[in-house]
Amino acid sequence: MRLLIVEDEPDFLRTLAQSLREEGYAVDTAGDGEDGLYKAVEVNYDAIILDVMLPEFDGFELLRRLRKTKTTPVLMLTARVKVNDRIHGLDTGADDYLAKPVDLNELAARVRALIRRANGNASPLVTIGGVEVDTAARTATLHGEPVVLTAREYSLLEFLVQRRAKIVTRTQLYEHLHDENDSPLSNLVDVHVFNLRKKLGADFIVTHRGQGYSVGL
Amino acid sequence: MNWFPHSLRWRIQLWHGLLLLVVIVAFCFASYRLQREETIRHADGELDLRLTALTNALQQGGRQAQGGGPPNPAQDGAPGEPPPPGAPAPGGPPTLPRSFQSAELTSLFDLKDPNPFYYVVWSRRGEVLGGADADFDRIPRPATEHRGLTRITRDRPGVRELYVVTPPGECLLVGRSVRPIDRELNHTLLRFIALGSAVLGLGWAGGWWLSSRAIRPIADISHAATRIATGQLSERIHTDEGAGELGELARVLNDTFARLEAAFAEQARFTSDAAHELRTPVSVILAQTQLALSRPRSSAEYVETIETVQRSAQRMQGLMESLLTLACLDAHSEPLQRQPCDLAVLAVEHLDLIRPLAQERGIPLHADCLPAVGGVDPDRIGQILDNLLTNAVKYSRPGDEVRVNTATENGSVIVRIADNGPGIAPEHLPHLFERFYRADRSRNRSTGGAGLGLAICKSLAEAHGGTIGVESEVGSGTVFTVKIPTGTAR
Repeated sequence: MRLLIVEDEPDFLRTLAQSLREEGYAVDTAGDGEDGLYKAVEVNYDAIILDVMLPEFDGFELLRRLRKTKTTPVLMLTARVKVNDRIHGLDTGADDYLAKPVDLNELAARVRALIRRANGNASPLVTIGGVEVDTAARTATLHGEPVVLTAREYSLLEFLVQRRAKIVTRTQLYEHLHDENDSPLSNLVDVHVFNLRKKLGADFIVTHRGQGYSVGL
Repeated sequence: MNWFPHSLRWRIQLWHGLLLLVVIVAFCFASYRLQREETIRHADGELDLRLTALTNALQQGGRQAQGGGPPNPAQDGAPGEPPPPGAPAPGGPPTLPRSFQSAELTSLFDLKDPNPFYYVVWSRRGEVLGGADADFDRIPRPATEHRGLTRITRDRPGVRELYVVTPPGECLLVGRSVRPIDRELNHTLLRFIALGSAVLGLGWAGGWWLSSRAIRPIADISHAATRIATGQLSERIHTDEGAGELGELARVLNDTFARLEAAFAEQARFTSDAAHELRTPVSVILAQTQLALSRPRSSAEYVETIETVQRSAQRMQGLMESLLTLACLDAHSEPLQRQPCDLAVLAVEHLDLIRPLAQERGIPLHADCLPAVGGVDPDRIGQILDNLLTNAVKYSRPGDEVRVNTATENGSVIVRIADNGPGIAPEHLPHLFERFYRADRSRNRSTGGAGLGLAICKSLAEAHGGTIGVESEVGSGTVFTVKIPTGTAR
């Protein structure tokens, strides 16, 4: 899962990014409206965390321009707490609203919920065959037995599970598992898929030659 | 004056009533007096008419007694005086001449009249010769010193009399009871009292109506002011008095209320902005500490966390200092320490303070300072210089220049701080000195403060009785001008 955080206060940006990376997300950052909009349009993020007060142009403006081309879930983050601001943000196309100071756990939970809903999943528990994935606890079980996964492996699993019954390309996987600062070898995806098959069963992840992977198809 | 009503309406009513009462009483009294005098004059006219008839009768009687011959000077009167009446009957009791029996006199002294006239005639010796009345003998004879034809009135209880003493000494008196006249005058007086009371009542009612009308806008104003006092600041006085003193008052009050509301709104905005400014560093501290505590960290990570917290705390400290400075300036709680001071020297000193930052950013500094001596508080002016110089250096691009010049112009000392940096867009210029206003919409950037620096400069300049102004053109630079009148030096 890949996120974009647009926030102009460097300390706050760094803290949020670190916190969400520790939650297993690939996180990109932007310090002003222009940079933020560029990245938001160029990359297919799973969710965007957007501050309202930004240099160049503010969060509302960024959102308005983004919504012309993209439906990426957006969580507005701001020190403005007036009801009118919240209404304005939501009406401009924001999916959620959170006032500063934020609780990092709440932020993480809201981001999880955003991503889940954006993929059309109402429940955090997804069961496919004998595999059950708890996207809230970030755990997976096989026939009721806990399976130990690395952070990357879990991220890949969650991405596939959120888009179950759909073919996910290698490029998509690559894009959503790494942030802008990573430059991993492209065959790392294959390694993670191989490892997941070892842990969850060989036929859990189906390879579609020349197209990509899928689960539960 | 506790008994005095406090209601304005009642006071107006009371004074109005008193004035009305005085006017009506004076009017009635004057009218009554006139009426009374007229009545008495009329009564006196009647008496006079009858006294004339009596005098004529007496003279006639005198001539009849002499048989038309010349007057007898040997009588006991003075020479040339007519003979005394009653002379034709010497020896007998003196009586009135026959001329008093004339039809004219009889009709004039008609006893059947409801208020008859009476008369008495006294001889030269003071004996009662006769009269028309039941008991004329009991009427006292008036003093007879004033001989001649002067007619004299006299009042006795219940009667008014007119008498004359003829030159020889006979005394003629006509009188009439004044009781009916008094009765009539009493009636007149009662009528006046009734009429006056009616007019007073009407006037009072009219006054009440008028004062009610006059007071109503005041009541409106009072109600509106009460509602405003309870916090409904958007309340206004609704008065249809377009013109007039109360309309004017209402307009003045409405203007005042509007300014009050604006001041409250400004205050609320200021407080909310201040809270907002504090919220950002607090958010950083809370998030950073929560993150650091969420799992065991390396000491390098802890150091980073502590540094972040320190930066945020420093930012809050800066904000608090700025807010305190503004609060002090607003409250005038710290008087200026004015002393004669050369702004050229001050400017160069503060230019040297900023030099390290300017060198770091590659911005040359230039000073072009003429002596400019004025009575100012050097610390406060130094604060202005620091703020303006820091802004100039901070917002200029490497290679831009910052210039300071000082001068004395038209009784003011002037400091100009000019840069040829990026300039400020015209839409920001009018708001530049507002509190928490930042030309850059972002308040959180690491380069910027809270947007209070220029507001503080403005308050400081105004505390000196001076002004601060800005001229700027995008692309060619910005000039800040501080002007402090030297006349205020003490």
